Amino acid sequence: MENIKKHLINYPYLERPVEIYERENGHKIVFAYKKGGLINISSWVRTGSINENDENNGISHFLEHLMFKGTSTHKAGEFDRTLESRGAIVNAATWKDYTFYYVTIPKGSSDKNFKDTLNLHADMMLDPIIPDNEIGAPFDINDPHITTKRERHVVIEEIRMRKDQPWTQVYNLLNKNLYTSHPYKRDVIGNEQIISQISRETVLEYYKTHYTPNNITTIIAGETEPSEVLPLICSEFDFKGRANAPQKVYDIDKPVNETKTIEEYSKINTGFLMFGYLGPIACDIKTSTILEMICLLLGQGQSSRLYQELIEKPQNPIFNVVSSDYYHFRDGGNIFIDANFKPEKKEDAIEQIKAQIQKLYNTGISETELKKAKKKLKAGFAENSESVSDIGENIGFYMTVCNKLEYVEEYIKVIDEITAEDIKKTAKEYMDINHAVIAVLMPEEYKK
Amino acid sequence: MEKYTLKNGIEALIKRNKNTPRIALAMYMGINKDETKSGIYYIISQLMYQGTKTITAEQIANYLDENAIDLCIEKKADYIRVKLQCLNEDIEKALEIFDDIIENSTFEEYKKEAEKIKGEFLSDLDSAKITAQDNYYRNIFKNHSYGTGREEILNDINKITKEDIINAYNEIKTNSFKNICVIGDVEETVVKELLDKHLKNVKSVHSKDERKKIAPIENKTVSTVEKEDANQAQIFQGWLFPSIYSNEYPVIILLNTILGSSGLSSRLFLELREKQGLAYTVRSVYEPCALGGHFFVYIGTEPKNIKTSISGFDKEITKIMTEYVSDEELENAKNNAIGKRQFYQETNMSEAVLNGYYEFLGLGSSFEEELTEKIKKVTKEEIIQTAKKYYAKPAVISVLAPKKYLTDSGLIC
Repeated sequence: MENIKKHLINYPYLERPVEIYERENGHKIVFAYKKGGLINISSWVRTGSINENDENNGISHFLEHLMFKGTSTHKAGEFDRTLESRGAIVNAATWKDYTFYYVTIPKGSSDKNFKDTLNLHADMMLDPIIPDNEIGAPFDINDPHITTKRERHVVIEEIRMRKDQPWTQVYNLLNKNLYTSHPYKRDVIGNEQIISQISRETVLEYYKTHYTPNNITTIIAGETEPSEVLPLICSEFDFKGRANAPQKVYDIDKPVNETKTIEEYSKINTGFLMFGYLGPIACDIKTSTILEMICLLLGQGQSSRLYQELIEKPQNPIFNVVSSDYYHFRDGGNIFIDANFKPEKKEDAIEQIKAQIQKLYNTGISETELKKAKKKLKAGFAENSESVSDIGENIGFYMTVCNKLEYVEEYIKVIDEITAEDIKKTAKEYMDINHAVIAVLMPEEYKK
Repeated sequence: MEKYTLKNGIEALIKRNKNTPRIALAMYMGINKDETKSGIYYIISQLMYQGTKTITAEQIANYLDENAIDLCIEKKADYIRVKLQCLNEDIEKALEIFDDIIENSTFEEYKKEAEKIKGEFLSDLDSAKITAQDNYYRNIFKNHSYGTGREEILNDINKITKEDIINAYNEIKTNSFKNICVIGDVEETVVKELLDKHLKNVKSVHSKDERKKIAPIENKTVSTVEKEDANQAQIFQGWLFPSIYSNEYPVIILLNTILGSSGLSSRLFLELREKQGLAYTVRSVYEPCALGGHFFVYIGTEPKNIKTSISGFDKEITKIMTEYVSDEELENAKNNAIGKRQFYQETNMSEAVLNGYYEFLGLGSSFEEELTEKIKKVTKEEIIQTAKKYYAKPAVISVLAPKKYLTDSGLIC
């Protein structure tokens, strides 16, 4: 029996502590107990566009698609058919710091669904064969005569789909201008040129480099007894001595020296804009939580400052939509303010948002606002404990991006300790209006 | 799930789910009359956040957010649904504001709300998919309220008067069926007492549905939208289908599972995405409403694939109309559809919404169990008969793409 380290985490709103097991090879297995008929099994891999470059941008996401294309023992489609025919939801997602694969399935009256799911999931994670006939031959993206279309084309269609989404367009424009050198500057999905050309060998090599035991966390959320199923999980996740990946370190970008505004045009009727700022590393839980609170107060809900001041109170508002959000990333989060506005009022729209940001760090917030933000963050955590898939995702995020789940235990305490002064100081530090990146997508007729 | 009759006569389904931190309430308020101007019911749903006789919109927003109460008021085809969710300990605070909004909304800010809605809809219509989808609904439910989309509302919204709004709301308030479902970790009798205390004036009436019937589609309809910079064509193809009251409902659930609602193993997904690489998103949707339903297939694809995609739809529809599904495929579809039903009741809110909906439609509290049993009994003969009955009728096709590709595919001259 291998030596497995166990520790417990008190996870708010769950009946039992979460159990974490770390194997000798670095593979981590986490159990979150939740009574009910559904069980969520997921594996989180610590790779995403963070490990990409200009030559292979999009490979993490492409690999995610190709992982569903069969193994030595199960042909392409078998995994989906077997599990969906038992009512499962099967899918995967790729982001900057991680890629994860999940199955949520009715537990059933016996443990057959659990065992079969685990078997198929582990097989998919450890033995993808990525057959040539599924990935499809590399092709010239400008050749209109391609008739055999395989998974490359599916991903290229996904890229096309995103190009037709104005919010995605403005986000991508902002993202690439927020960074100078960090790999986060690239769009996670990549581009058509790379996806049409990338070889099977390159994809397999990428898999071998990153899908290593120390990079993978497997999470079971639902009504299971860890002592009964841990040996089974260990035996299904047999890495056969696979070597571990060295952890790459990247230089962290600094905020822009002066506010940078970038504008693009599209056949649209309204204007879209995003303000963006770089935030702290994900492990800086206190500052990240303060920035979550700032975004909540600025632009989440109808009582938020931006909604009240820019949409509700003006007699003739120039904004149609305005909100704010904080994204956590390993090497530094992002603070966003998103707005949709009347295009003829672009300059005014930008100035009004700047004024609201400035007001936040010049005059701070009231105790009532602070109390509201604390209550909403705590309720948000309660909301994330309502479904097995949300629990799995929350745990996966902390285990993969922050490297430890202990932050969850501290979360409520951290929230309680935040002061109005912390908010003001952090807003000043991270959201200086002279160091913002502003991306704007305007209707074509406004092109000079 | 316990069923109680409140003092106001409204029936409430209440269930205690232990160890769940948030309590969920779903209330259905029936719509019995057609709108005199497009968007009246929608603007009502938005104005219910905008102030009562005693508190302003800003005070409502602050109260909700300070107490972490999620309030969501949605206009749907047959009803306005109010969803309320909060931490268990705040249930009384949530019910207080809920009652005030239902009883005392003033609708004073209707002009301003109309401007906000116009802005939001213009922004929505910058999405190619939303534009094509609205166009599909407009054509499948021609001249019917189910087909009212953003453009119709944009055309009418400035014609809506305060009197229109108050009349329509009073009709809903005093002359329509309403029901409530509440689920959370609070004792059922406590919830009932709170509902009695805070909703004493809300009335429910079983009144006649005076809305227009859905007109049949007489001829195949192809409606196109030109968008010169679209990277993908948006294609919706649909047919009128029966309502949830139909005996064929369980059969249609399986038709939908087999064709395209079921994730990565449905026929459309396997044929058009996995084998032909035509799309990232391809699926089917069945939407049953009280007056009737519809079933559509959707794909987002490179514009030059329009013809191939519509042929692909035709091939799969023809196949399901003419060839029996295998025993294995039928069995898989049944297990898939039945298994997925657990997801519809995983959280307190999803459970409240589903059970409240069945009760609203008068389907009874055992409908879910009965439906599961009926799904188990569906035969391959019923699949083919139902497919023939509805897919043989004229379809509506909505396609958005650059003009060149609409022309090349023969959709426009």
